[in-house]
Amino acid sequence: MKWKKHDRRSMVGVFREMFLAGISILCVSTVIAGQPPDGAALVGNETCLSCHEEMGEAFEKTVHGVVFSAEGTKGALTCESCHGPGSAHAEESDPELIFNPAGQNQFGGRDLCVACHNTANFDNWAFSTHHTGDVNCSDCHRIHTETEMAVKKAIPELCYDCHSDIRAAFFMPSHHPVKEGKVECLDCHGIHGGGGRLTQDNSGRELCFSCHPEKEGPFVYEHAPVMEDCNICHTPHGSVANNLLSQNEPVLCLNCHAMHFHATIDGVEGAFTVPHNPSRNGVSTADGWKKGMLTKCTQCHSEIHGSDMPSQAISTSGNALTR
Amino acid sequence: MKKLISNLVVFVLVLGLFVIPVSAGEDEAVQTYSVWAGSHYTGFGDYTRKVGEYNLGNDEFLPELKGYYRFRDATRLFSFKAHYYDHKNISVDAKGTLSDRFTAELFYRSLTHQQGQDLLANLETREAGGAKILTHELRDKGADYHSDRYEAGAKFNWLVSRDNNIRIMAAHRSVLRRGEEQKIGSNHCYSCHITSQSVNIDKRTHQFEAGVQADVEKFTLGYQFGYRIFDSRAFDPAVYYDSAMHPTLNDLSYKVEFPSRLNYDDTILAYGAYPETEKISHKIRMKGEVGKGQLASSLTFNQTTNKKVELTSDAWAGVLNYAVLLSPRTRLVAKASGTRKSNDDPFIDLRPWREGRPAPVTTPSYVTNFDFTRYSSLDRFEGKISAEVIHRLTPRITLDVLAGFQLIDRYDYPTLDESYQTKRFIGQAKMRYRKGLKYANTVKYRFEKTSDPFRSFRGLFEARGFDVLEPAVTIPTDPPSRFIFYYQREALRYQDITSLPTDYHEFEFSSTYKPNMRYSLTAGMKGKYDKNGDLDSLDVEHLTLQPNLSLTVTPAPRWSFMAGYTFTYNKSRGPVTVALFDG
Repeated sequence: MKWKKHDRRSMVGVFREMFLAGISILCVSTVIAGQPPDGAALVGNETCLSCHEEMGEAFEKTVHGVVFSAEGTKGALTCESCHGPGSAHAEESDPELIFNPAGQNQFGGRDLCVACHNTANFDNWAFSTHHTGDVNCSDCHRIHTETEMAVKKAIPELCYDCHSDIRAAFFMPSHHPVKEGKVECLDCHGIHGGGGRLTQDNSGRELCFSCHPEKEGPFVYEHAPVMEDCNICHTPHGSVANNLLSQNEPVLCLNCHAMHFHATIDGVEGAFTVPHNPSRNGVSTADGWKKGMLTKCTQCHSEIHGSDMPSQAISTSGNALTR
Repeated sequence: MKKLISNLVVFVLVLGLFVIPVSAGEDEAVQTYSVWAGSHYTGFGDYTRKVGEYNLGNDEFLPELKGYYRFRDATRLFSFKAHYYDHKNISVDAKGTLSDRFTAELFYRSLTHQQGQDLLANLETREAGGAKILTHELRDKGADYHSDRYEAGAKFNWLVSRDNNIRIMAAHRSVLRRGEEQKIGSNHCYSCHITSQSVNIDKRTHQFEAGVQADVEKFTLGYQFGYRIFDSRAFDPAVYYDSAMHPTLNDLSYKVEFPSRLNYDDTILAYGAYPETEKISHKIRMKGEVGKGQLASSLTFNQTTNKKVELTSDAWAGVLNYAVLLSPRTRLVAKASGTRKSNDDPFIDLRPWREGRPAPVTTPSYVTNFDFTRYSSLDRFEGKISAEVIHRLTPRITLDVLAGFQLIDRYDYPTLDESYQTKRFIGQAKMRYRKGLKYANTVKYRFEKTSDPFRSFRGLFEARGFDVLEPAVTIPTDPPSRFIFYYQREALRYQDITSLPTDYHEFEFSSTYKPNMRYSLTAGMKGKYDKNGDLDSLDVEHLTLQPNLSLTVTPAPRWSFMAGYTFTYNKSRGPVTVALFDG
């Protein structure tokens, strides 16, 4: 390995060199743990570029190229920092004799990319569903060519490759504006295992409230499922029902609540009497039930996510969420 | 508006940090740019605007522009992209990397969301007692219900010292939502006096995050602070709340106040007001190598305050994850997390029933004091543990087995004396076959068995203070009344009903074939089935089947063609609603 000689010989410089050496050793040791070409030695960038000139030119334009060219890292981070010792490959031109990070998996020891991408977003990469599902960094990212965030395809098409059912959901009448390009998958999903905005575990109500804070409360009058999980009533990717509801009203509400008010008249057709209140005697028709089923609960219970103001009817102690 | 302008000013200034050095010129600089100009047409015809809810739908062609610029020299990289869809749908994003130390991102995006429908449109004028009753009143008929959302933000990440991997990050985000919304006000005489009016929307959210991290020996330690405020600057709507009188019945009760269940009468009050909230969070995290494995953990504290009513909720959350290679071909991933949430329990002091109004006649013994302490259904402990073993049977076949358990222990669920627990067992098995990059096949099965899923206890809005469920008025039994009160349902209707599943099954198969780097063909099938088996003959069931097929062709690095078809079949069975019609 070629080391850049610094003019300054201060202790900071020495520590910097030691640290860079550590990174290189770490990267190389990772490579060795993954697929060690026996007896291979470091050959340096010039040897690599003698055959892979086009790839080198393209790489320089990438964000990795900028980092590799920076003052503190130039010469320390090379092709072999990721690909391992290349002498055997250079001599034989055999792709099997060089480490290909695209082939690394969760059994390959420490993850190569996370060694440098060591921020909060990657804290839980080793435990993430993508990682345990053998999704490799290079399944989504293209390292040697200039693309936005080095991804192979633009998001969300990249995600749809595996999650086609989610693409279908976004074509439902009610959906988050992902296909319109106004919201993207990364706004909600910590795909590298990291947390979302101000969320505890990047899931559930905490995540939703990062964009819909008016529904978080805490309210004087609560609606219990709002405290529990937004997904009890909503399906976030797309729905046939309005407002991303998993079912239309009133059927959704009737999953937990009985119909009331409109159901106070018999369901049979014909004349009926109300002995204790004769003024309400009348003739019932099936139309009464239609009225009930065709009324949306939120037309009265309009503050369904919670309210600080008491409703008018005392039978609920103000908790009817109508105000 | 001032804050939005100030955000834009900051945006432009920070943008200048990158643009100025870029314009200084460098011999080695490489610049790339592209401009796209086009047009699009959206029209809703006779349909409601909700159909194309994120489009203006002006029934005309609108110009559309996209621009992209990228600069790169030896130590700097700057990219800028912008998209003008229409004057309400604009996005701008600028990213910069200075050396290997400093990265910054600034973004702005706006969208419009059309509500485009009258929420009361399904109500009709109907007859009662020989007279027409107006079931609803639109005070602003024809109003353009919509909201425009503007979001601006910035993210910064600074690698202070490479020696200890010391990094500082900061982020800011402001969201402004303006427009008009339909606010519905309803009083006790619900079926006759629902009114709606158009109300201005002016909701503002500001969020700030800052964090620092450093390596200490073989651990990475970090701290992150978050602060978010939300408020609404729009006026709260108001509505008149009637007295209890029958205005249409031609008998003695005509325009005579009767003892209804109102706790305020003949007054104008605000309704539909938004809270003013402040949220603060602290998070410490640690990750590193422990033994032969990797560990990541975090501890988070959140506090949310509704400043209008001085209510506060707290949450402590801890996460501990550990992964280790048990053998060269076997890996264990173990996760544990726990969250403790608590909420203030305010005492609600309501005006006594019919205070200052004529005394009740028919039900003199009726409870008149409705004050109560609001115990929150948020108060709870949630815990999750899981263990996943991934074993590589052969170089091409991987077996993945997961087992997990989740507990939700609700401490103060409304009107229940004892805590209410939900327990969930999770099992999952996956098998993957992968032959290089050419074939990849996955088969997965997952089940979840839940005892006591979330349900609505006393979800019928029964009055506080009642220990037993009984009607508020005496119902004559001789002759029996045919007047059905909603709180007269059997026990099923009161406490045991939920459509959330007790049993959940998921099956998934996916197969990808890549003959070369240009073609990729994927076919798959996903099926989900869930049911609530606690309701006997009223079992609720849901079935979803989703076959899919997709093809990707990449003839050149910059060209990619995709085609896909996904069919979704959903079937639900919810006979529990029959109980409603049976009374």
